[in-house]
Order: sequence, then structure tokens, then C-alpha cells
Amino acid sequence: MHPVQRLGIALPHSVSPVTEQDEKQLVISSKKGDQDAFAQLVQQHQRRVFNLAFRMLQQYEEANEVTQETFLAAWQGLPSFRGDAQFSTWLYRIAYNCALKQLEQRKRDKALQVAVQAEQITANIGQEQRVDAALEAHAHQAIVQEQLSQLPAKYRIVLILRHLQEMTYEEMAEILTMPIGTIKTHLFRARNLLKERLEKFGAELNTRTRGQ
Amino acid sequence: MRCSAASKQLQLYIDKQLTVQQVRQLETHLTTCRTCQEDLLLLEKVASSLRELPPVAEPANLTIQIMQRVAMTPQKPRERYSLLRPSLLEALAVVLLATITTLGIIWQQPTLRAVLPFANGHDLISQAFANTLNMLINENMGTLMLALWVVGTLLGVCITLALAGNEMRTEWFKAMMDRLPVR
Repeated sequence: MHPVQRLGIALPHSVSPVTEQDEKQLVISSKKGDQDAFAQLVQQHQRRVFNLAFRMLQQYEEANEVTQETFLAAWQGLPSFRGDAQFSTWLYRIAYNCALKQLEQRKRDKALQVAVQAEQITANIGQEQRVDAALEAHAHQAIVQEQLSQLPAKYRIVLILRHLQEMTYEEMAEILTMPIGTIKTHLFRARNLLKERLEKFGAELNTRTRGQ
Repeated sequence: MRCSAASKQLQLYIDKQLTVQQVRQLETHLTTCRTCQEDLLLLEKVASSLRELPPVAEPANLTIQIMQRVAMTPQKPRERYSLLRPSLLEALAVVLLATITTLGIIWQQPTLRAVLPFANGHDLISQAFANTLNMLINENMGTLMLALWVVGTLLGVCITLALAGNEMRTEWFKAMMDRLPVR
């Protein structure tokens, strides 16, 4: 498996950001088939798209493949991109759909499913030891990260967009083509699920501490 | 403020979506309610834990890999008039539904109805139908018109969806499902 390299820097852009006007120009050139212009768009957005895919799939190689698929689909579909929405909004919508497709594929691929289950069993065995180390500052983050991967995709995506990509309700609604009311409902349910898990963890920890 | 109202607002509070007035009310409630305080603390922990998940570096050669694939892939030409190119099945569905709708409209006009070789008021079927209709009109005109209006609207929606093509239909269906409050 490919080692996951953490970055000590902020997410937004992997290269110096271009202005909105420059991006529009790059999109227009790319629509006409200019590959150099498209390469600049790729560089501009690949980190955010990759991180979205990685958090959706929790698997480095799959995230790599989905990111490539996303940009390829964007390239192919660019002539039909009307520019009603921002390029990034359109791109993230493609990325989300590609990630969903990958999750569907995973469901179909039984061999992989068995492998994932085996991985989860190993993770559960490790959980016992981890509880003792849970007093450390990163315990909550570890639980949240673990639980995030177990949430339904529709809840996972709103958490990723809201808290990892710091998007507004309006931006999320546009990307996911859902009404803002639905975005709120999904976001609130998702956070409540994680909150309940943290609550349960806190209660478990108290019982253990009292038992010692 | 009650806890049930406060717990809904807590989520909006951490997203900074409340008005100054609402924030004041909620904060007043929080000073006296321990349960809501704990809820807020946990929600903030959830948000901050997510926010602090470190970004992951994409593969170093990602751009090159993408551009290699791009170089081998032609762009799809812009689709024009896809609305006017329904499949055979879609076209048949539209014709069928449009026929039903047209017959419905013709049937409402006595002069047009007389032109038809059937249902013109002289054969048995149309007489039976007219009798039933008159009975319904006498019974409850409003309900009947409402029912006809609903049927007409449904036919219109079906025709539009049949013409719109598969992609639009899927998107429409998805949007409808997302709007359902409970699933």
C-alpha cells in the first residue's frame, strides 16, 4: 500500500492561486482543446479533489484513480460546460459522482469487500489497546476519523465539504445539487451521529477509569 | 428557550448561521443548562476534530499521469438539441401520452367531439360515459375538476420527463428523493 504522506500546510491550493478572471480564461482555452491550459487547471485543483476523494474512500490508491477519472471526465465534458456554475463547483460535483461510483464498484467487488472487512477486524482488535492511549489529545480526532469512514456516503460528503473544505451551505447545495434544507438535515444528522459516538466513548472511558 | 429548540440551534451556532438576537437567546440558555452545554462542547469537538484532519499529499506525478491520459482522450463535442432526439421508446411514450391528452381536450369540446367517429354522443359507450360524467358533475363538480386537473398535470409531467432524456430524468428523480423528508 502507498504510504500516506501528511502535509504540514493548509489545504486550499497546491500552487499559487490564479485569479477568478485567469481561471475563466483557462477554462475557455481548455474548452477549445488547449491541453496546457487544462494542465494549469489540474495543478490548481488536484489537491482539493484528491483530498475529497481520499476522505470519501479512505484509500490512497483509489483516491488517486478517482482523481484521475475526475479530471479526465472534466476534460471530456468541458465543451458542454456552460459556465453557469463556477468551474470548481462543477469539478467537485464530478469528483463526488466519481467517488460514489467507486464506492458502488467496491460493493460489487466482493474480493475487496472481504479484504476491507479483514482490515476492520484488525482495527477492532487494535481498539482495545487504543482505549488506554485515548487520554491523549488526538483520541477524539481518531474516533471522528474512524467514524467518518463508517457513515453513509451522503453524510460523509457534507462533513468533508463543510469542515475539511470549509464550504458554505450554498456552495454545498450547488455541488451536491440538493436544496439547502436537505444539506442542513444531512449535516445535522451526520454531526449528531459523530457526537453520539464521542459521548459513548466518553462514558466508556469514565467506566474504565473508575474500574481501575 | 427550551432544550429541544436549543439543540437545533446549536448546530447553526457552530456554523455561525444565527442572528445576533438568536445567539444572545441561545447563550442565555447555555448559561443555565448543563445538558446543552455538554452537547455544544461535543459538537464543537466533532467540528474541530474534522477541521484538524491533516491534508494528504497527492502523488507527486499526479498532474503528469492525468495529462498523459488527457493527451490520449479526445473531448466530447458539445451535445446540441439532445432534447429533440428521444429514443424510440421515449418517442412512442410521448406519442401515446400526447394522444391521450389530445383526446381529453377534444372530448371536452362538443363541436370537436361530433367530428370523431366514436365518442360523439350517439354510440353506447359514449352515452354510458356521458351519463356517468353527468352524475359525477351533479354530485360534486369541484372534486371532478380537481381530479381532471391532476390527471392533466400528471400527463404533462410524464410527457416532459419522457422528452427530457434519461440523464435529466435521473437527476429529477434524485432531486425528488432528496426532498423527501423521511426515508
